[in-house]
Amino acid sequence: MIVLVTGGSGCGKSTWAEKLMDSLQQDRRVYIATMQVYDEESRQRVKRHREQRADKHFRTIECEKDLDSAEIPEGSSVLLEDLVNLTANEMFDNGEVSRIVPALRRLASRCSHLVMVTNDLFSDGEEYSTSVQEYLRCLAEINRQAAEMADCVAEVVYSVPVALKGELPCV
Amino acid sequence: MKLYIGGAYQGQEELARQENPAAEIFPDFHEAIRKAVLAEGQDPRTFAEQFCEEHPEAVVTANEVGAGVVPMAAEDRAFREAVGRVLCVIAGKAEQVTRCTCGIGVRIK
Repeated sequence: MIVLVTGGSGCGKSTWAEKLMDSLQQDRRVYIATMQVYDEESRQRVKRHREQRADKHFRTIECEKDLDSAEIPEGSSVLLEDLVNLTANEMFDNGEVSRIVPALRRLASRCSHLVMVTNDLFSDGEEYSTSVQEYLRCLAEINRQAAEMADCVAEVVYSVPVALKGELPCV
Repeated sequence: MKLYIGGAYQGQEELARQENPAAEIFPDFHEAIRKAVLAEGQDPRTFAEQFCEEHPEAVVTANEVGAGVVPMAAEDRAFREAVGRVLCVIAGKAEQVTRCTCGIGVRIK
């Protein structure tokens, strides 16, 4: 099963995605962590996420960019967190944005379940610098491609999942 | 306990009052969260759980604040996080969650 999880910041996307992982497959669970850790706030965020999934038997693979470089065993159940960071890293840290979608497709074909987390960054009505606008455009396109691949797209609204595509899996 | 959320000025408070004329309403709860967590330094989860315990019949209305590009200012990021953490707890305990857009409520829980 391929699931895309979206929603605003701090809305419980990760928590729901992890619960979903629990219900999908008990073994060969892989967590792909994409966030670059550069300050205390990001360290705290990583710490909170690590504690959240401490007893959930994930193998964590750090992959800030070039998703194809992550060695994911066939038949794994993968939680990819998240497309927002992956896109930012490819775009602003000497990567290549265009390799994300093909890599997602390859990843999806290798694993038995793929849960991708992204974020709704698009509704604040602000005007940003050209590079940020371009980033938003790329991320939106990647989100759309990911949604097309997905059997289910869920928006998490303050812990409540709302189905945008397909039926919500029972978690 | 019931929770009504939505973007700014989407009519969540009016709808909550309409649908719950006899209930005690806690409007603009994101501002209460700003005060408790950011100004007074309370832990979001503890604050939320204590509120739910003290007001099990409350009807809470709040703005959704998590959408959009991550703000540059640390305090703005902390505000979004705090509102998220607290409202996740309240939504979890609420028997009903309604999301309001243009005055129209969609029940999501």
